[in-house]
Amino acid sequence: MMTSDLSSSPSSSGTEFADPNPSTDPETNSERVQSQLESMNLSEPSEVSDGSHTDYSGGDDDDENAGAVEVALSNGNEGGVSNGCVAGTSVEEEIEGGEASSRAEYPVEMEAGEEPPSPTSSGYDGERGSSGGATSTYKADDASEDEIREANVDGDTASQHEAAWLPGKRHVDEDDASISWRKRKKHFFILSNSGKPIYSRYGDEHKLAGFSATLQAIISFVENGGDRVNLVKAGKHQVVFLVKGPIYLVCISCTDETYEYLRGQLDLLYGQMILILTKSIDRCFEKNAKFDMTPLLGGTEAVFSSLVHSFSWNPATFLHAYTCLPLPFGSRQATGTVLQDVCASGVLFALVMCRHKVVSLAGAQKASLHPDDLLLLSNFVMSSESFRTSESFSPICLPRYNPQAFLHAYVHFFDDDTYVMLLTTRSDAFYHLKDCRIRIEAVLLKSNVLSSIQRSIAEGGMRVEDLPIDRLLRQKPNQGQAGHESPRDVSVGTGGPFGLWHFMYRSIYLDQYISSEFSPPVTSHRQQKSLYRAYQKLYASMHENGLGPHKTQYRRDENYTLLCWVTPDFELYAAFDPLADKAMAIKICNQVCQRVKDVENEVFLQGASPFSW
Amino acid sequence: MPSRRRTLLKVIILGDSGVGKTSLMNQYVNKKFSNQYKATIGADFLTKEVQFEDRLFTLQIWDTAGQERFQSLGVAFYRGADCCVLVYDVNSMKSFDNLNNWREEFLIQASPSDPENFPFVLIGNKVDVDGGNSRVVSEKKAKAWCASKGNIPYFETSAKEGTNVEEAFQCIAKNALKSGEEEELYLPDTIDVGTSNQQRSTGCEC
Ligand SMILES: Nc1nc2c(ncn2[C@@H]2O[C@H](COP(=O)(O)OP(=O)(O)OP(=O)(O)O)[C@@H](O)[C@H]2O)c(=O)[nH]1
Ligand SMILES: [Mg+2]
Repeated sequence: MMTSDLSSSPSSSGTEFADPNPSTDPETNSERVQSQLESMNLSEPSEVSDGSHTDYSGGDDDDENAGAVEVALSNGNEGGVSNGCVAGTSVEEEIEGGEASSRAEYPVEMEAGEEPPSPTSSGYDGERGSSGGATSTYKADDASEDEIREANVDGDTASQHEAAWLPGKRHVDEDDASISWRKRKKHFFILSNSGKPIYSRYGDEHKLAGFSATLQAIISFVENGGDRVNLVKAGKHQVVFLVKGPIYLVCISCTDETYEYLRGQLDLLYGQMILILTKSIDRCFEKNAKFDMTPLLGGTEAVFSSLVHSFSWNPATFLHAYTCLPLPFGSRQATGTVLQDVCASGVLFALVMCRHKVVSLAGAQKASLHPDDLLLLSNFVMSSESFRTSESFSPICLPRYNPQAFLHAYVHFFDDDTYVMLLTTRSDAFYHLKDCRIRIEAVLLKSNVLSSIQRSIAEGGMRVEDLPIDRLLRQKPNQGQAGHESPRDVSVGTGGPFGLWHFMYRSIYLDQYISSEFSPPVTSHRQQKSLYRAYQKLYASMHENGLGPHKTQYRRDENYTLLCWVTPDFELYAAFDPLADKAMAIKICNQVCQRVKDVENEVFLQGASPFSW
Repeated sequence: MPSRRRTLLKVIILGDSGVGKTSLMNQYVNKKFSNQYKATIGADFLTKEVQFEDRLFTLQIWDTAGQERFQSLGVAFYRGADCCVLVYDVNSMKSFDNLNNWREEFLIQASPSDPENFPFVLIGNKVDVDGGNSRVVSEKKAKAWCASKGNIPYFETSAKEGTNVEEAFQCIAKNALKSGEEEELYLPDTIDVGTSNQQRSTGCEC
């Protein structure tokens, strides 16, 4: 959950958010940041259709080449850091580079992309040395998101979308001198406070040492002034910073996502690292500031790249809730009962999962599992191929439960999709956990849970088309819209009733959400991603200043009509056809909530919530 | 000898990341090989039934992760091991140099009752690579190391081509069995007033 000190609203002034040392002299401070930025030339993304670019338009694939981020270390900014002249200054944290006025005031050097504009195709194929990159679609080693998308522009469903991710890091041959690298739409970096690279989404960490040093220079320059840099805006680029003790995390993005969500993504990235190593890494830096952390993350590229990929398809990353696989109540209950038994025998957490969805879970008394931990845990297991081959036992840390220490996890896959995770504090509990797994497996087989799971995967989740439309039809005459085309016509080919395209329902009490399957017209990977981005904006705006009771928001643009409804019990996000009727949309939303309540025993994990804080 | 025999033999496989521990296991247990590297997380547990001198045994094999971050963890499953297999890559001097560390770390963590005679087996893997042309650790050098550590049996294998894998594991099973039988002595502790508390009783596997 975003806390208030993390959030900034684009409309508020730069000094208003989370500034422990309010700026006394913004003029000079801004100049200083500006001089820092001059060393880091953020170029406008070179899109052909720049003029027609809208908030929710497609082309947002962040793996794609878009703009150039250029770094020149020679610009004297190092001197600025080392000569200590920044003492006592406090720097304005947000530069609204996107606004004409501030752009004039704090000019950030803009530079046209060196490459001819290439909004969708991978114009760097030649450079990467892969012959015929545009046609080699599923080449195991270097196929990238953009290539897959090209092959699959239409008709890939959410699950394919999920499956389209290929393990491992791509474009390792790049560094900050590569044009292709500079044009990537979204970069993630983790570095140490001495400027040593720890992780980079693209390119080789060691080759990016110079770039890392620049990022570190910017952060510590501001820190030396007793302040913190959170966000730098430069044209379409946002540079988001997160400082976690000796670890710095940076995202450079021109994907049009909200600052809050980008910051949340950095938080999750940090959490993933803690899950692998625990916070005891801080001690390594205390002992030796030059400590090189990269070897400790050996073999984990796939874990991070899969997490980054999930930022664009998994709503759990911004809803901070988990989702269950829809199942008959009895199946989930049988699973829950045996998991509770297992927890009574000394297991801290016991979970049966299907891919990223929960089948059932239980925790020892008073132990609660945070939805973010659940997300990071399932991402870790799903992206590490080695768990699939045999029973595994591994140290694992749950950052929200206890970031300081390892737990031990027993992981076993029953089939390609379904797996059990048993977490314990005891490092010698393997054989006990193995016995527990055998017990759980026996129950799953006896109650046919594994086949229910397969059936559920095949059937998919809730569909907007399946909403009980008849009840709505009966209400239609009250609308007094005689002569209008019949409601059934409106619903044809446009998803659910009355132009409902998609919805997400989040139960606040349960910490769970349910979202409808994607259906026409939101079918392509790109459209889905763009809808999620629209939801994220909505989510951020609803969570800006704490929640009041019964808040609603209604937005319409050329792509969607979006409706959001927040109550103390639940949040509903719904997307309609841009031409949908407002009164009708509100009715449909009520209908959706009713429908979710009707099936809550199948779509939510009920009962003793282990998530009560 | 008593008729009650141990039927479970616990084997630990150690060595640098990427030397081919998982591949050797996979070749031995499933007769499969994959060129793709899938870093082991923590440790994988596998079992395999083996026949040896007309008796059936279950090998419990712990395929451990060679990645650096797992090395500093006090590894509980080293305890009670019947045999430890050390693996290096004949094309990597570093993986050979690290054998000393792996061996010592194991002896500290597992603290077997008779460290001098604890059964190790050494495997030099990936002999197939580049037709042997990229090899940097000679057989002579490896054998000299084995001799200096109390005549550790040595095998050169290719997990990719399956060369010598079966033979190596036969030897591993044989050695594990030997160590098991030697420990099967019932020696109850007696109270010894005056000396410090008993450190440990004979290795007992649960
Ligand atoms: N040519 C060849 N390649 C091999 C051989 N054995 C393993 N490999 C390859 O070496 C890489 C690493 O093999 P793994 O078996 O995963 O290595 P590991 O020792 O288990 O590594 P960790 O799990 O990280 O400790 C893989 O890409 C294998 O395909 C071999 O005998 N010959
Ligand atoms: Mg392995």
